[in-house]
Amino acid sequence: MTIELSRRGFCIGTALIGLQSASSIAFARTEDGTVKLGLVAPMSGPNARYGAFSLRGAEMAAKEINAAGGVGGRKINVMPADSQGTPVEGVSATRRLIDQNQVDYIIGDVSSSVTLAMQPVVEDAGVLLLNAASSNPMITYKAGVGGFKWTFRNYPTDENRALIVLQYAAEKKGFTKYAVLSVDTDYGRAAIAFTKKYLPRFNSQILTEDYYKEGEVDFRSVLSKIRDSGAQAIIMYGNADSTPIVGRQMIEVGIAGKIPLIGNAEFNTASSIKAAPKALEGAIEAAAWLPAYDSPKSKAFVEKFIAEYGEAPNNHAYVHWETVHLLAKAIEQAQSIDREKVRAALSAIHYDSAVGEVTFDDHNQARLPMILLEIEHGKPAIKGAYSAEIDYPK
Amino acid sequence: MFYTVIEQVVNGIVSGSVYAIVAVGMTMIFGVLRAINFAHGEYYMLGTFGAWFAIDYFDLPYPVAIVIGVVATALIAVVVGNLVMQRIVGAPAEAGVLATLGVALILQNTVILVFGGSYKFFSGGYIEPVTLFGFTLAEQRILIIIVGLIVFVGLELMVTYSRMGKAMRAVSQNIECCAVVGIDVRHIALWTFILGAGLAGLSGVLTAPVNVSVYGGMGELITFKTLPIIIMGGLGNVRGTFVAAMILGIAESLVATYVGLQFRDTVGFATLMLVLMWRPHGLFSAQARF
Repeated sequence: MTIELSRRGFCIGTALIGLQSASSIAFARTEDGTVKLGLVAPMSGPNARYGAFSLRGAEMAAKEINAAGGVGGRKINVMPADSQGTPVEGVSATRRLIDQNQVDYIIGDVSSSVTLAMQPVVEDAGVLLLNAASSNPMITYKAGVGGFKWTFRNYPTDENRALIVLQYAAEKKGFTKYAVLSVDTDYGRAAIAFTKKYLPRFNSQILTEDYYKEGEVDFRSVLSKIRDSGAQAIIMYGNADSTPIVGRQMIEVGIAGKIPLIGNAEFNTASSIKAAPKALEGAIEAAAWLPAYDSPKSKAFVEKFIAEYGEAPNNHAYVHWETVHLLAKAIEQAQSIDREKVRAALSAIHYDSAVGEVTFDDHNQARLPMILLEIEHGKPAIKGAYSAEIDYPK
Repeated sequence: MFYTVIEQVVNGIVSGSVYAIVAVGMTMIFGVLRAINFAHGEYYMLGTFGAWFAIDYFDLPYPVAIVIGVVATALIAVVVGNLVMQRIVGAPAEAGVLATLGVALILQNTVILVFGGSYKFFSGGYIEPVTLFGFTLAEQRILIIIVGLIVFVGLELMVTYSRMGKAMRAVSQNIECCAVVGIDVRHIALWTFILGAGLAGLSGVLTAPVNVSVYGGMGELITFKTLPIIIMGGLGNVRGTFVAAMILGIAESLVATYVGLQFRDTVGFATLMLVLMWRPHGLFSAQARF
């Protein structure tokens, strides 16, 4: 009997919760005259640095737009939420933004694993998710005509990156033998999967393959294995915080300056280079943007950011800054903050960004060039901007 | 081939020395307080932060930063020891678990609140490689091995000959008898705790130059690395802990090389499960404490 009762109670409870959430979607979105923009990013944990840059970039853009009278007379209100860089926290941060803060738009996350987990959540709620910084190709394979109508991405994917890096390394440097040392996340794994797709094109091979957990501090065993493997370069897709550690330990095992790092893990930031100048010399990286990029809009952004925060912006600050402006333009063109209309405006947008014109394909993926750079004499040297159309699996 | 194996064993001994210095503090605290200190990794983190702060804000040389890091950790341990740890002597085991978990959260989040959640770059230390018998090893790693040996010989001498050391041994063997013969158990518990936390701080300062990055959550990993070591070593057994730490360090290094870096962290708990299956009291007897 007691079981019967509690089961009934459970059913009623579930139904009530269902009603509650249905009603909150239907009625609760009140107008307070602002554009509510959620920002999901890692504000604590190992990737907190990225979150801090993202927030500063987004807030600076909102400030600029608001100072110029807002968008359609509305001020942009940036509401940050901490994902800690993990899918679980990212999803609950997204839910909080949607249910409690009643946001209409979300920018996020830096981490691909988190963005992948957020996609179905925003899809259910019909909230527009603009991704500005994660690069796993699956995000846009699944978006637009792929299924998730509410996800857009204003960032190049790892597929472009893998191809561009490999091409440069093979054609300009003559490398054919590689060791892999990448972060054990959707980002690191996917970048290597796509590298493998293009290896035969350049008659190249991977000799050793290792993935590190975020927060790993001891790379010596793997680096000495790489030293003995005969690899000509280390393919590393990772986060900026591991780069100085890897660099220092490369010095220790005696491969600094002999086996360069290629891929993407913020090899070009001043602090990474300063930690291990010898190891980072010759590092090759494909980035969506970097502070040294030479265009008037980009230079103006860097100057303003330094004046505002006292340090140079990184890639994440830039992409979030640009994406807030992109969203504002879409809202302006839609002449409404209605999410459906903004989504349509975004699909058709021609936005003039600091690295070139942004348009979206039918997978809601921005077409963007990547900037290739090499560290020479302790400074990043830009080797050109390359773009590649993505080959979606049929 | 042979050369690589030897080199990996040397790498393992370096990480083993770090684990040993951290774990010995935790195992002594267990011996005296009968509580697993889940905040132990946080003292490691505090030591690192102390040294980082000294170098980054006051531009002090690394040797001075070592002292500052250890002293800072010890001072915080005095506060935590008086407020929390002394009270869990003789309390049920759950009290110890909850209290130390709480302390871990408070310490970690206080540091994040004060210094921010991001990674900091630790710039001190001696990272230049030296070549010894054909192996290259950073000076800092040689320092870690030497300090590890000094710490263990020192502890061995202390618990055998000094008054405080003998009292610690006595308390770890039988609290009631100690109380009966007039040993101030809470006093001994406090000092054991400060010593253990200080050692964790020391190991944090020593490893910071090779680990480079400093952040508030860095202690968690250490606590979870240390847990299997002290259980394998026989809870409260100092020599056992040293051997267990070395076994784990070398095993991890070999696994990272020959199986894959991503499997490194599984080694500790996999070994622990095997040990618990075959020798539930650990590889070394818990009876032979200290």
